Amino acid sequence: MIESAVKVLIVLGFVLIAVPFIVWMERKVIGHMQDRIGPQRVGPFGLLQTIADGIKLFFKEDLIPSQADRVVFFLAPALSVITAFVALSVVPFGDKVTVFGREVPLHVADVNVAILWVLGTTSMGVYGIVLGGWASNSKYPLLGGLRSSAQMISYELAQGISLVSVILMTGTLSLAGIVRQQEHLWFIVPQFFAFVIFLLCGIAETNRAPFDLPEAETELVAGFHTEFSSMKFALYFLAEYANMMVVSAVAISVFFGGWRGPFLPPVAWFLIKLSLFLFFFVWLRATFPRLRYDQLMAFGWKVLLPASLLNLAVTAVVVALSG
Amino acid sequence: MGEAILFTLFSVSAVVFSLGMVFRRNAVHCALHLVGVLLSLSGMFVLLHAQFIAAIQILVYAGAIMVLFLFVVMLLNVRGETPLLTPGAAKGFGFLFAFIVFVELLWVVVSQGGSEAEPAPVRVLPPGFGSPAEIGRILYTTWLFPFEVTSILLMIAVVGAVVLAKRKFA
Repeated sequence: MIESAVKVLIVLGFVLIAVPFIVWMERKVIGHMQDRIGPQRVGPFGLLQTIADGIKLFFKEDLIPSQADRVVFFLAPALSVITAFVALSVVPFGDKVTVFGREVPLHVADVNVAILWVLGTTSMGVYGIVLGGWASNSKYPLLGGLRSSAQMISYELAQGISLVSVILMTGTLSLAGIVRQQEHLWFIVPQFFAFVIFLLCGIAETNRAPFDLPEAETELVAGFHTEFSSMKFALYFLAEYANMMVVSAVAISVFFGGWRGPFLPPVAWFLIKLSLFLFFFVWLRATFPRLRYDQLMAFGWKVLLPASLLNLAVTAVVVALSG
Repeated sequence: MGEAILFTLFSVSAVVFSLGMVFRRNAVHCALHLVGVLLSLSGMFVLLHAQFIAAIQILVYAGAIMVLFLFVVMLLNVRGETPLLTPGAAKGFGFLFAFIVFVELLWVVVSQGGSEAEPAPVRVLPPGFGSPAEIGRILYTTWLFPFEVTSILLMIAVVGAVVLAKRKFA
């Protein structure tokens, strides 16, 4: 009981502390990629800039539109954050360690249906965005919310199927179990296509560029979070980055051997891989222009879904033949 | 002890959310209460050692189907719709179906529960109960026919929906 509580606190605390630094990293990296220097005034290298921003958001006035549905308006940002955090609870971030003579596995919960759990919670995350758009009772947020629900439902399918092909190989739905089976070979090698599909869907699921249509500022002002200010806006922000961590963590556990790696301790390897993935997210945002909405839907349904099904079929045949 | 507390928690929230779903005026609020019911049920499934069913409950019903429901409710803005049935007829059908479900439940409880003099035998869960592997096995052996019939039924519904939608907007 106490053991689980401590682990929950560690994971929660880690995400809350890491997010400001990821935002800083994003602003700094994109700054340099665009030949700017990024934040540099607050603290050394501007490191404290996002903390200052956070404090500012805390003290800002919390505006609620007069025609908004007040309860749902409060609920929506909270839902976004909760689902992101809950998904992280099944990710193994290290091997078993011995603390005070007890063997402690380094994940909050080893659920034997961990992958379904992650998929389920991320699909619940859609509610945060749809309801945020609806509760604002305003045109652009509603359009943004609708777009994003269509987008997330479409990409969830291909994402789920790409994971099924790995499940077929391993015969387990537990993330810890999948990591355990990657001792000799990371699954990125046999399941490269599944990984590409998973990653593309993951980017779409987290609403990151180039799939950030729900908040396309040139068309929708700021999409679903147009009317949100102060900490409610900050919660959406937090949820987006926490969701990036969820996608990265699942990708690492399923395709990149999880916490496995030579020389360094397992937790260090997990953090290194996580940082690389987060950097990749930022890199994408700086590189690609946003897709058009019809391109996005066509790509999801006509390319990714058939590709993931084909990959699944091939995997099934190979698994059955090698029996 | 912990199980009793959790059971109380989930059952109370299921009942409260169900009442909310029936009595709220706003269709979006009703849909959200239904999501609450589904999540409570999922908690119940975990207590019954059916983790796979619990996860599927969240993934399919709460995560996918209800999002679509919400989507439609939000787009249609059903406030001004004329109802299909008159209030009296709706009430009549409501009581009728509630009564049928009640009789069904009563029948299950009476036939399975045993009596005071002769209590129902305590069954031990078979190994692997509720695990994905076990559910997959019985789904593709014992229950293969109903499973396939259901999938064909869903397929017909999808094709039918596409055909109807096309005819209307052509």
